[in-house]
Amino acid sequence: MNDLRNLLWIEQRKALRSRMVLWTLLASMLAPFGVGFLIWVSKNPEISQKLGLVGAKANLVALAGVDWASYASLFGQVIGAGGFFLAIFVISWLFGREFSDGTLKDLLAVPVPRSLILLAKFIVMAVWSALLTLAIFAAGMLVGVLLKLPGGTLNALLHGAAITAAAGLMVILVVMPFALFASMGRGYLLPIALALVALLFANLVLVLGRGEFYPWAIPMIYAEGKTPLPPASYVIVLLTGLLGWFATDYWWHHADQSR
Amino acid sequence: MPLSIETTDLGKSYGAVRAVEHLSLRVAEGEIYAFLGLNGAGKTTTIRMLLGMIKPTTGHATVLGTRVRLGSRQPWSEVGYLVEIPHSYPELTVRENLEVARRLHPGTEPAAVDRIIERLGLAAYADRRSGQLSQGNAQRLGLARSLLHNPRLLFLDEPANGLDPAGIVEIRELLLELTRQRGVTVFMSSHILAEVARLAGRVGIIHEGRLLRELNIDELERERRRRLVLRVRDTGAARQALLGAGQPVQVLPDGALELANASSIERPDEINRLLAQAAVPPVYLAVEEEDLEQYFLRLVGMDGAGGEALR
Repeated sequence: MNDLRNLLWIEQRKALRSRMVLWTLLASMLAPFGVGFLIWVSKNPEISQKLGLVGAKANLVALAGVDWASYASLFGQVIGAGGFFLAIFVISWLFGREFSDGTLKDLLAVPVPRSLILLAKFIVMAVWSALLTLAIFAAGMLVGVLLKLPGGTLNALLHGAAITAAAGLMVILVVMPFALFASMGRGYLLPIALALVALLFANLVLVLGRGEFYPWAIPMIYAEGKTPLPPASYVIVLLTGLLGWFATDYWWHHADQSR
Repeated sequence: MPLSIETTDLGKSYGAVRAVEHLSLRVAEGEIYAFLGLNGAGKTTTIRMLLGMIKPTTGHATVLGTRVRLGSRQPWSEVGYLVEIPHSYPELTVRENLEVARRLHPGTEPAAVDRIIERLGLAAYADRRSGQLSQGNAQRLGLARSLLHNPRLLFLDEPANGLDPAGIVEIRELLLELTRQRGVTVFMSSHILAEVARLAGRVGIIHEGRLLRELNIDELERERRRRLVLRVRDTGAARQALLGAGQPVQVLPDGALELANASSIERPDEINRLLAQAAVPPVYLAVEEEDLEQYFLRLVGMDGAGGEALR
């Protein structure tokens, strides 16, 4: 327990001292303020005309009717897509930086188990991603208040919060294999490239109507809430996380480290 | 004498490339063992195998009585190391980087951080981000990290890298003190021969992945070639006189004469007398010793003369 506490201290200190926490927080704010801006424009057609947003008019009209219930659930989708990329950045940085900064070797011949070093990194990744999810939702709700959206009930808010939290948890699980890709690729490039490929594939399987069996499409389908997910989808998400964790652990124990 | 490091037929191949092969080493407790080789000879691969970072393709290694395995926890609480370029977390200060190292070695007391900062002369930089350190101070930080938890065995890959001459002397004295006063074993790699000669008790010479020689430092001194070099005003006459007296002599490209046989090296006064009698007295006469670089290049066959088979 003491070892884990020490390792968590190390990981949080590295994260907080780097500017990554701040950058990911700033990036995460794009979503609530971006969505808020679009709703504000759609509610004020004269502004959209001034800004020359005529081409986007149809989409904006759809946003004009947004009430608290649909607005609060919208953040599940924001997390499913945008949050996925933020979590990819977080996990790629936590694991990949040890390789690209050359600091990995100082984690290898030490009297603490490598599994525990990895566990600390996964815990920090999960907490960091959860805090970003919370920040996105909280900022989103603030924007909702500023927009004076209609139909604000506690139920609508709680429902939106539950969907956002569940989507956030799913994202944390499905990004875990990218710790392995960051380790195998010895840096940030491979996990980020593979995340793009995973999203491209997600679009493909969604068109084919098989998204509920593809781990990197499941959080989006869940957050949209249009099609109910079969229980297998939840199992797939959980297995993706566990597999990512175990495979990373196995790789750290068995691969040659010459950097 | 108990052994700190023992390897048996240790080898590592990457496909057809044999980085290290048939390496059998024995390093006794409390000794400074220098692992000497050119760049790419296999020094770092060996150190990484000894530290359980690379899995050997053949053989095995034992460090402080524990068989080394990839990813194991033992015996690292008593081992300190500095492998290749010392990297640190650039966003953390020197003190924070050492605090990270301390927490990776449970049981190391918090005061150890300040002690090692003082010891390695890093006090003025303790609160500076390590990304802003000079190469020499980054090297000091790397050394501080390796020494922080009072290890019994130190692996140092090119420890003098980036240090200025005063720093090199300081680190040399520190390592000598650690071995003499605390019985710490040091396994260091280097390609700086003069540095090795001042520090190490034993030397292993590795070339193209193979251990060419293992010898004590006094053996190394004895093995260095000596020769008698002469300069005269009339090279031809001097050569004739020497050959006439049965002394095998060579004329060097710069016109100097070289005698490599034992009798002339041990009795240069006789050679002087012989030449004086032949009316070609030497204007320069010296017994010169092959320097370590020349010795090393001769040993690995890169002296331009095809080398010498010393396996």
